Parts: sequence; structure tokens; C-alpha cells
Amino acid sequence: MNALDVENLNVHYGAVHAVQGVSFAVAEGELVAIVGSNGAGKSTIMWALSGVKERSGGAVQLFGSPLPSRPHDVVARGLALVPERRRLFSDLSVEENLVMGAYLRGDDEGTRQDRERCFQLFPVLKQRLSQRSGTLSGGEQQMLAISRALMSRPRLLLLDEPSLGLAPILVDALMDTILRIRSEGVTVLLVEQNAARALEIADRGYILDAGRFVKSGPGPELAEDPEIRRAYLGG
Amino acid sequence: MFLQTLITGLSIGGIYSLMAVGYSLVFSVLNFSNFAHGAVIMLGAYVGLALATKLNLGLGLVLAGSVAGAGIIAVLNERLAYSSLRRRKAPSLYLMISAMGCSVFLENMVYATIGSRFYAFPEFFGRQVISLWGSSVSLLDTGAFVFSLLAIWGLHLFVGRTRTGIAIRAGVSDMTMCSLMGVDLDRLIAVVFLLAGGFAGVAGVFLGIKYLVYPTMGWVTNKAYIAAVIGGLGSLPGALAGGLILGVVETFVSTYVSSVLRDVFSFTLLVAFLVMRPEGLFGRGGEEKV
Repeated sequence: MNALDVENLNVHYGAVHAVQGVSFAVAEGELVAIVGSNGAGKSTIMWALSGVKERSGGAVQLFGSPLPSRPHDVVARGLALVPERRRLFSDLSVEENLVMGAYLRGDDEGTRQDRERCFQLFPVLKQRLSQRSGTLSGGEQQMLAISRALMSRPRLLLLDEPSLGLAPILVDALMDTILRIRSEGVTVLLVEQNAARALEIADRGYILDAGRFVKSGPGPELAEDPEIRRAYLGG
Repeated sequence: MFLQTLITGLSIGGIYSLMAVGYSLVFSVLNFSNFAHGAVIMLGAYVGLALATKLNLGLGLVLAGSVAGAGIIAVLNERLAYSSLRRRKAPSLYLMISAMGCSVFLENMVYATIGSRFYAFPEFFGRQVISLWGSSVSLLDTGAFVFSLLAIWGLHLFVGRTRTGIAIRAGVSDMTMCSLMGVDLDRLIAVVFLLAGGFAGVAGVFLGIKYLVYPTMGWVTNKAYIAAVIGGLGSLPGALAGGLILGVVETFVSTYVSSVLRDVFSFTLLVAFLVMRPEGLFGRGGEEKV
């Protein structure tokens, strides 16, 4: 069974046809990257897949059944989104952000284990538990945004531009973390403007341009493709 | 005299705080001024009045019934008049206009069915006084003040500690992300209106006991608006502090200056805060939501 089957997805913002008939699949356990320039429609795909942005056409199957229409039902089916710019609950403490991540969980023991797992991935969060999340540094905010998503114990994790605004050394650590999360059995769909880094770690990649896929293939292969390097990877 | 005036001021202030809390809660979550809040307070007072006069219930049960009644009315108000606008992501001006319409509708519904008569609550302990440091103060005033404090403190704990309370604050911070944590926003907003309505019910009963019950009694919520602005819109401690400050200032002005000038002072205070400190005493103004 695929984690995600997207068939001819269309999304409009008013008269603007932002996503124009995109089709792709993500197998369970896979790490798939969608890369493209600013405004190509990457984030729009993410919002549509999480039920926030209404689709104007196409069918989406999440773990073999149709995607629910409201975000909280989508989350209940095992999807979690780390949105662009992180969008933490900035007035809430680090701890409260994690509590919100686990909002739908009833198992206290499992929730506690997942918290420990997040602290293993990002030890700094443990020292910041009572701090207001809006006062964290950019890197720490990204760690918290990922942890908040992991606290729902998702089967499919959507990451939208996680490297945005991070120093290069933090981007390295981030890519390692994404691989580690995948190795623990979570399916990952990664959207990045930082195409080279995303394609290096992805099993498969898709190049999105003006709302359509223009190329797809194994991640590292796309990263080496001279034509793609010229057009999207800055040489 | 001084202590009596202070207690009277605090008790009125406590009622203003109760109203401001409900008003502030809705404002912080949905970002619009719920002008129907006054009408819910008025209906809460009528529910309490009916329980007290028709069923001869005691004050405790009257309060409980009014909390439940006004709470349910507030939730229905949201479902019928705001939810469809909210789902279409209408600008908050539309919600405000809808709220004004509700307010006019509800008042006139009371005129048409119950009538324009002024009703008084039966005397629970209206005239009883207790002596405090040599002054005699009204038991009702003291009780209303203490009860208001306890209710707001309880709400503060609820919002700070419980899962639903944290979800409300998360919604204030970012509604969309709140729904992406698995929170059913329709249900969360129903809880917010239930709480706001409950507080309106308590305020309605206290107002009705202190003064009278009549269709336009809810207009006093413009004082709650002033209190909320003084304290900082959206802040619970702010609503409490703003209500108490306003109540005390008003009572002292009526007693020592002139009761005619009371509202002049209140609205001057509102304008002064809007001009010089629009974020209020406890608000965190100027912080951008990206």
C-alpha cells in the first residue's frame, strides 16, 4: 500500500491555477522530495495534502483511502505537517507546543516515550521546556516544529522548506535528522527550494515548475543531471 | 464611607470583569468584537429571573441555571450567526456586523415576547450588610466581588493547565496550525462560546440583582469593552484588572465628584488608553503574527 497516491491534483487561488494536474505516489517508508523554485506551487501541494487548502480537482488517497476534507481528520489518519516558516504557537511554551503535537493521543506512556525520542534528536529542547517558543533561535524553532509534528507519532511526515533560514552547518544536521526519522519507519515527503541537498538524500525526486512536474527520477540521479543543475540547482 | 465606596466599586468592577472576560475570550480567538455579548448577558439575566421567580430557586441554583442557559445561547448564536462566515474566512468586519444584528434581534425578541417591563429579582440577601473594619458593607457586593474573582481565577487555571485550555491558546496563536494538531475547530470555538456565555450568565444575574432586568440592560457591555481595552484585549488578567479599575474609578467619581460625570470619566479613560497605550496594561502589543 502506498502512503500517498495523488492523481491529477489541481489547486486554485482565485483565478490563479497554482497546481496544474500533478500526479505522484509515495510508497510507505520512502523519502520523496519535491523541489522547485519559489512560487512553483510546492507549499500549495503541502497545504492541499493536509486538508487546509481546498482542492479544485483530482483524487488523493492517504494510506489507501480518500483524504478527509478537514485538517483534524487528516491528522487523525497519521499525517503531520511541518509547515514553511515553522508556525509554532509562539505565545506557548516549548512544552505546551509538544502537548499540542500529542493532542489526539490517549496513550500517556507512548507520548512520554516520544517526548524522550524528541529530546534524543534535539537535546537542547529539554533545557528550553518552559521557555516561550517565540523566543527560541531559528534553529531551535525548527527542531521544535519537527518535534511537535513527531509527537503525533505520524506515519507520513510532510516537511515544507525545513532548511529555510538555517545556517549551512544546521542544514547538514537537519538532513541527518530527516534520514534518521525515515530510518525509524516514518514516510517522509520533503519539499525544498534547497534542491541539491534535498535530492541527495531522497529516494526519488520530482521537479516542480509553474504548477507541473517537469522531471522525476531517483534523487541522486536528478541531483547529477546537468540540465537540472543548470536550471534549478544554480549550476 | 471610603471602604464602602471601595467595596461597591470592586463589586461593580467584578461584574465588569466577568463581562470583559467573555468578550476578550471571543475577541482573542476570532478577532472580532462580539457585540451580541450584551444580549447574551441580558438573556442570562432573564433565565436567572425565571428560575428565581417561577421556581423559587435559591441563588446557587439560579446562578447555575443562568450559566447553563446563557452558555447554550452563546453557542447557538455562534452556530447560527457566525460559523458560516467563519468557515468562508470572511473578514472580521462581517462577523461584527452579524453580531450587531444578533444583538438587535435578541433585544427586540424580548420586547415582543416578554415585554418592556422592568423586573426585579427577589431579595436573596440584597439588604443584608456585614461590618468590616468599622464600616458596614453590602453582603451582595462583597459576595459578587469574591465570586467574580474565583470564577476568573478558575478560568485562568483552565486555560493555563488543561489540554482544552492549551488548545484555546494555541488557536489564538495560529488557528490553522491548531487544526493541524488534530483539534476540531468547530468544537473548540463552541467551548470558547460556552465559557464566554457562562460568564455572561453570572454577570447577568449579578447585574439583575443589583439593578433591574430589562431588554436593553446588556448595553452596559460597553463598560466591559472599556475594561477589556484598559487591561489589554485578549488578556485574562487584563480583563480582571481593567474591570476592577474601571468599577472603582466610576464609583469614586460618582461618590466624590458627581454621578453625572461618571460615564464622562469612563469614556475619557477609554480614549486615553486607545491613544496612549492601545495594547492596554497586560497586552503584548506590536508583536506580529507572521
